[in-house]
Amino acid sequence: MLRHEVVVVGAGLAGQRAALAAVEAGRDVALLTKLHPLRSHSGAAQGGINAAVGAGDSVETHIFDTVKGSDYLGDQDAIEFFCREAGPTVVEMEHFGTIFSRADDGSLARRPFGGAHFPRTIYAADRTGLALLQALWERLGKEHFTLYAEWDVTSLIVRDGKLQGLVALDRTRGEFQEIAAKAVVLATGPAGRIYAKTTNAHSCTGDGIAVAYDAGAALKDMEFVQFHPTALLESSILITEGARGEGGLLKNASGERFMFRYAPNVQELASRDVVSRAIVTEVKEGRGFPGPYGGYVHLELMHLGKEKVESRLQEICDYARRFAGIDPVTEPIPVYPAQHYMMGGIGTDVHGATNVPGLFAAGEAACVSIHGANRLGGNSLLETLVFGREAGKAAAAFAATAPTPQVHDADLEGATAPLRAWSSRSDGEDPSALRAEMQRTMEECAGIYRNEAGLLEGIRRIRALRQRFANVRVVDRSTVFNLNLTDALETGHMLELAEVILVGAFARTESRGAHSRTDYPKRDDARWMRHTLARRSTDGPVLDYAPVGFTRFEPTERVY
Amino acid sequence: MKFAYYPGCVAKETGRELDMATRWVARALGIELVEFPKFACCGSGFVDEANEVLNVAINARNLAIAEAAGLDLLTICSTCQGMLTLAKLRMNDPVVRAKVDGALRPLGITYRGSSDVTHLLRVLVEKVGLPTIRARVKRPLTGMKVGAFYGCHLLRPADEMAWESPEEPHAFEDLLAVLGAEPVQYRGRVMCCGFPVQFVKPETAGRVAGQQILDAKQHGAHAMATPCPLCHISLDAYQGPAAKLVGQPLDMPIFHLPQVVALAFGATPEEIGLSRHLVPTAPALAKIVARP
Amino acid sequence: MVAGPISVPLEVYRYRPGVDRAPTYQRYTLDAAPHTPLLSLLLRIRAETDPTLSLRYSCRSSICGSCAMRINSRSRLACETPVGPEIERHGRIVVEPMASQPVVRDLVVDQSPFWQRYNAIEPHLKVDPRHPMPEGQPNPMTPAEVERFHDTPRCIACAACYSACPAVAADPAFPGPMALAKLYRFVVDPRDAAHQDRLVRIQTEGLWLCLRCHLCTEACPKNVRPSERIRDLKEMAIAAQGATEHGSRHAVGFKENLRTAGTLHESRLVRQTFGVAGMLGQLPQGLRIWRKKPEVLHRPKPIEGLEELEKIYDALDAQEKEGGR
Repeated sequence: MLRHEVVVVGAGLAGQRAALAAVEAGRDVALLTKLHPLRSHSGAAQGGINAAVGAGDSVETHIFDTVKGSDYLGDQDAIEFFCREAGPTVVEMEHFGTIFSRADDGSLARRPFGGAHFPRTIYAADRTGLALLQALWERLGKEHFTLYAEWDVTSLIVRDGKLQGLVALDRTRGEFQEIAAKAVVLATGPAGRIYAKTTNAHSCTGDGIAVAYDAGAALKDMEFVQFHPTALLESSILITEGARGEGGLLKNASGERFMFRYAPNVQELASRDVVSRAIVTEVKEGRGFPGPYGGYVHLELMHLGKEKVESRLQEICDYARRFAGIDPVTEPIPVYPAQHYMMGGIGTDVHGATNVPGLFAAGEAACVSIHGANRLGGNSLLETLVFGREAGKAAAAFAATAPTPQVHDADLEGATAPLRAWSSRSDGEDPSALRAEMQRTMEECAGIYRNEAGLLEGIRRIRALRQRFANVRVVDRSTVFNLNLTDALETGHMLELAEVILVGAFARTESRGAHSRTDYPKRDDARWMRHTLARRSTDGPVLDYAPVGFTRFEPTERVY
Repeated sequence: MKFAYYPGCVAKETGRELDMATRWVARALGIELVEFPKFACCGSGFVDEANEVLNVAINARNLAIAEAAGLDLLTICSTCQGMLTLAKLRMNDPVVRAKVDGALRPLGITYRGSSDVTHLLRVLVEKVGLPTIRARVKRPLTGMKVGAFYGCHLLRPADEMAWESPEEPHAFEDLLAVLGAEPVQYRGRVMCCGFPVQFVKPETAGRVAGQQILDAKQHGAHAMATPCPLCHISLDAYQGPAAKLVGQPLDMPIFHLPQVVALAFGATPEEIGLSRHLVPTAPALAKIVARP
Repeated sequence: MVAGPISVPLEVYRYRPGVDRAPTYQRYTLDAAPHTPLLSLLLRIRAETDPTLSLRYSCRSSICGSCAMRINSRSRLACETPVGPEIERHGRIVVEPMASQPVVRDLVVDQSPFWQRYNAIEPHLKVDPRHPMPEGQPNPMTPAEVERFHDTPRCIACAACYSACPAVAADPAFPGPMALAKLYRFVVDPRDAAHQDRLVRIQTEGLWLCLRCHLCTEACPKNVRPSERIRDLKEMAIAAQGATEHGSRHAVGFKENLRTAGTLHESRLVRQTFGVAGMLGQLPQGLRIWRKKPEVLHRPKPIEGLEELEKIYDALDAQEKEGGR
């Protein structure tokens, strides 16, 4: 039986940072991941990481911008902690070897981002996630830990409500294994693949969130799903907000800079939910460009000049050329919003602890909550590192005094029997077909604009899909690298999370941040200034609510 | 057509059969080759490894010599072509330019960048043209299957060499077809011959060379032909050790590019120095279908 | 931007080591718009026709490096290979796993040799404890210093370069283009204190096995240009340590050799590289060559204007001493 003191699941920025913290605290650490660490979705982050280090900026302003950006749903005490840690966190990453873009005086270069009063987004061209991921992996490589690469977590082992370990599939050998652990940190990222149009990688299927939910952890604020305004048409590949930060403009089919109407003060640099809604509205009201892949608007960079575009926005220049056949130096980029980020996730406190003793979470898979109802660009990369470290430290401290985990063969049997049944069926549902229907349902029913009828329809359809999933069939009978099996696993996880999102969205009869109800278009602080908590039951998600942590800023109307 | 003839070091000495065949083909096509005894070695890629700026300077001087005569350069070696082209490009970098000019000016040498550098293969296919070549063929090489072997520096880096596709070129095959030979498609035709490490680790060079020859052989080639005399050394002169390293007999005749053209134009083996090759070429010539 | 669909015949390598007797090529034919990336087609096959096809993929936007494979013999990312041009050039698309890495299943390869070579160059900053990093502050770094990295920070470790490299295929002692490009990244990092050590070590650990064939530079989806960085490493290594290995001795020897006549003195170069003893080892082959090509022992006639060449060498030497490296 495999045993470790701390197992970190997910090896992107949050997972690696947690592992580093746990190793530094002297624990025996394992890092388990479905991809090689350098392939994690953190590497796709483009625009930058926020820290109030510039002269004229302040931590207080960063706090305020984040609170306002969250549409006042973010917990202000947690946000204060988060913003204070930003400067030291960025310095630490630079010391680890991150190659950031620099200003002429040798200091870290900064660019403006949506919803920020001051340019505080520190960047590495338009591949900041990759730069941080490389440096962190290289730093972590100096430490001793066990790497389980291309292992998929299938469930957590919990006894008397306490965590004992986990079960995972070793993809390469095709074997299920159980790992006894005193503490587990889930840093498995988001579940964007619940949607048909997402900037997320294919690997973003929310497995950590789902297994936490199955193990009794409460999921917080799942209905708050961020749509990124500028995803490339057709592929939904992300075109960073940094493009607008560098001066890119959004135009409709009449050549109008329509953002003046939606955000008179900051136009293109309004926060993401505002810009996304604006684009959807423009297209819906007939002012967008038509096309075979749906209506869209233009993101123009031509006026910035070849040099600026090709040096500061190198990657997206490539993306536009390769994936849309557009040269952004001379032509506008066709964009439309796509699912991008999940503000919700496994509920944690500011140290990454969940309501299941021994279970911790960090990064996009977790919800502290920093981002409340809407996240500001540049705060996600920061979140992974700040709370990755916190969760790693807390998990290590927990493991230092935790009793020996109780893991038995029967646990492995019990956890894997249903999965093995998928492969022995001679008839059953195709996981790809179920997944495609789920994605269509979420686009139609839980997109940027929601309403009661649509959400109810969505719940009905997802529940029907979940029933059909009980009969899912895996046709690939080979053991080694069986993607048919992992597809099914992921689909099952996503169906659970889709239901939680829909149920939470249905219950929340207001519009706040990224959650827009056409039937309840106003923010309702009196009834809805609270976090949604969802727990699993045999009848579906059971909702409860928790108050928002206030320290200094009274909620006001949010205008950009 | 008149060129500053840049034969490169090997063609002047151990590869002189390449020079013989080049002159034969030039005569046949009315191409005037002007010699410049001042030309220095292009550095063969090794000087570039030791000192990038020196390499540029030596080649800028070579280019300036041709410029002074108002001529473009003709190379017969993929490596020379690569090095001279790279030197031209590096001279566009103001930092490099300043350093090189600093060394050339005291000698009264001014580099302008006004002379082009073209390899014989490109001159034949583009300037002379395939129809003209086809018209001059007296002895079609029908029946002989030939694997072209381009030589890395003729094609890559593609954005700098700015000619054929770096991994899917076709100029040489087009030429072979017009000469009546059957070009053989095989992956190794764009790979490396191993020459640069022949003096670093001969076993590795031999394995690399052997792999490409084997690839050509397995695709049915009776012979290979190359526009680079350094590749020729690796593939012909060192074919013996290469065969041992890949553990299989190779027995693959290796022609120089102009030798193939000369043969098709009616040259005798003696006129183009075939007896100088280490791997006998007669078995390949025997494949040529007798004229009716 | 949108052209009508074309028919795309695929031949995809299938193999389960230990289960299948031998690899086979399975045919699939799909209709797709010409700009569609190959990855999309492979995923369609998995979703609609054949869920047993195994491959690695994740981001679909050429940033994670998962989907490198050989496509019509070229090592590249499937997510950024549009099918149209492949069909135009070849009429079909042959899809195979990357080279020089053992096959795990179908298009999935075991990348441990690749990762090992990367780890072997010690890819992390080495700080001199006598010169610690500024407390609580980032290290300053000018835009010019950032420029020196060239595009090595863009590497996504996809292994396309490794797969394309003939030296990797021929010699396990060669670290491969990616590891060397990463080494370059650390050698030029002003925060790293081990430049000298790194350059000295890599000379004995395979730097000079690079064939400078540039296939890596062509294969790289991110313009890292490993072959050019390797060239830079060679020059820096010689500057750091002088000519100590066959490779460096040959390059320096060639440079010095050229100065004597302006054209290559072949036999002398062999002696300069291998030394007299080493030359004896080359004797049998040398004799074979000499019999056909007696010029190999000739002393070449010096070029006209040799003194110009000598002055160029001297002038650049002087410039370097003046300017400092």
